[in-house]
Amino acid sequence: MKKILIVDDEQDIVESLKFVLEAADFTCYCAYNGEDGLRLAKNIIPDLIILDVMMPKINGYKISRLLKYDSKYKNIPILMVTARTQEEDKLIGEETGADEYITKPFDLNEVVKKVEKYLK
Amino acid sequence: MINILLVTCNKQTTDRFLNIFDKNIYELSVIVNEKFISDAINIEIPDIIIIDENSSGSKNLIRKVKEKCENTIIIFLISGNKVNKEVIKYANAFITSDMSEDVIMSTINVNIRMKNSLDMLSNSNKDLAESLYRLNALYSTSSQFAGTLDKSKLIQYMIEGMDKALSFSLTCTLSLCTDDEPVLILNSLYELSDELITALKLRTVLNYNSLFEQENIPLKIDEKKLKVVKHIKYPASRFTFTLFQYDNMLARISLGNNIFGCIEIFKETSFTHEDATCFQTIAQQVSLPLKSATLYQEIIEANIKLEKLERLKSEFISIVSHELRTPLTSIKNSLDILMSGRCGKITESSEKFLSMAMRNVQRLSGIINDLLDLSKIEAGKMDFNFAPTNINTVIDYVKSALSEVAKSKGLNIRTEASENLPDITADAQRLEQVLTNLVSNAIKFTPENKTIKISSRMISSKDIKINEYFKDSIKLADGDYVEVCVEDEGIGIAEKDLLHAFDKFAQIENSLSRKAGGTGLGLPIAKQLLEAHYGAIWCDSELNKGSKFYFVIPVVKKLVQINVAG
Repeated sequence: MKKILIVDDEQDIVESLKFVLEAADFTCYCAYNGEDGLRLAKNIIPDLIILDVMMPKINGYKISRLLKYDSKYKNIPILMVTARTQEEDKLIGEETGADEYITKPFDLNEVVKKVEKYLK
Repeated sequence: MINILLVTCNKQTTDRFLNIFDKNIYELSVIVNEKFISDAINIEIPDIIIIDENSSGSKNLIRKVKEKCENTIIIFLISGNKVNKEVIKYANAFITSDMSEDVIMSTINVNIRMKNSLDMLSNSNKDLAESLYRLNALYSTSSQFAGTLDKSKLIQYMIEGMDKALSFSLTCTLSLCTDDEPVLILNSLYELSDELITALKLRTVLNYNSLFEQENIPLKIDEKKLKVVKHIKYPASRFTFTLFQYDNMLARISLGNNIFGCIEIFKETSFTHEDATCFQTIAQQVSLPLKSATLYQEIIEANIKLEKLERLKSEFISIVSHELRTPLTSIKNSLDILMSGRCGKITESSEKFLSMAMRNVQRLSGIINDLLDLSKIEAGKMDFNFAPTNINTVIDYVKSALSEVAKSKGLNIRTEASENLPDITADAQRLEQVLTNLVSNAIKFTPENKTIKISSRMISSKDIKINEYFKDSIKLADGDYVEVCVEDEGIGIAEKDLLHAFDKFAQIENSLSRKAGGTGLGLPIAKQLLEAHYGAIWCDSELNKGSKFYFVIPVVKKLVQINVAG
């Protein structure tokens, strides 16, 4: 079974993503802040990461860059979740390495389809 | 009384002259030894010096006398007809001892008259020089006034100007115009005792109050708390007198209702009429620059405030939309999961309410998107992907995207596109946004079984017919445009509301708008997006008959900015 890491400080969002992804036969790992997310990514080496941008301590862009510059993890697809704020738009101009952006509020079925596109 | 100094060692000559001048009421001093000349002229500069060439006459002595007594008449007493060539250039006249008394007196009188004229001339010259100096001081002070918008500097220049134009012992300037609190600026030649400062403070406050009608004092000043700034020229000495020994002048520094303070100036000797004029001039001259400086400062402060507000607004919108999106996502996700039936079967009525929740979630997220778009456009942060675009492609896309919604309301969307329209330089996605908004509005406000028409055509700027209401606010550059019209048979817009149709948060027909849903941001966003395309948007409408929304975009993007006010 493919492993998916979900990193978001909003527990409700993690919960709902986990629900639909497990229903679609994926194994889900969850982290609720950037630090845990980065640690978990290195430990379990997931097949795909769903990453929120705005998180305390280490934001999503930073995690994405750290992983994409590391040859061990650079092939893991990253779906970036963004609220499309001006602050985020500023960051988006920089090279983040994310494979896809999902704008809040997103459609769960769309997310599942996108995940399946990368993993099947 | 004319002072005459006689330098001679001849007893006979002395007697003779004493005799002459005694009768003519001149005061004659006689010096026998030329060594005492310096002492004599140091005590009092004589009007006339008569030098006996026989007793003295060395060139050096005469030069010394001339240096000291510039305006003194020098007469040489010679014997015979021979004149010493070395002294001739210093001499005003020559007399001989054998001249009669009348001749001697007339020679002396002529010279006295000449001297008087010369004195008058030299005094006038001195006055002229002084006036010139004052004018110069005034001029340079005015130039300094013109050169700054700093209130404290203006007051400083004023005091410096007075220092230059009027010699003073002490000035007290009460300056109200500094930004924190009133200040008493003391400019003094000598150090001031504490008692004197206290007296000056009290006096200034009294003066200040006396300059205004009792009830109209703009600012109450407490002499005990009045801040004092001192500028002392010679700190080693100290004033030990009462101010009543001094002449003073007082002026109010104000322009209309703006009071900037007052200034009092003290001097050991009397002020002249010219001093007073000069004083008033400087005090008046500083008023206008002070007023400008005040206004300038107000403008700057207002600007800073506005900038801060603008930034706060942007930040606020950004933060709020982020904070709104996150819970909205959770609600939407939960609804998605519930509606998918994975948590149990949904009954018909629960589906009805779930869909209702879902619809409103979508509406909310639409509002947030609109808010974000608008704040981005206004902050100039909206990115456009300009590319050659065919407007008919955009129309087809919007028609197919909205035909389902229209059909569900029993409406028909008809397009009437001109063939072979030239491409325009535009961001296709943004144009879709504009057109979607216009057509959605038309769908919202049109009753069942009616038709919505989208038409496109090419038009020259001179043929564009803009509704009277919008004519003043739209300026289009000359050239060819592509015009799109969205026509509905809906409720229309009242004449009085037409102009506000593109205002932010405008709620035309308040209740209806709310019934139909919408943020009131769609049209202002459309307007801003079109302005970014150097185009324009306006509408024609008739209440209960329908509306026509037009927008135009230039075929060739002009570099000239088109201003659309509002």
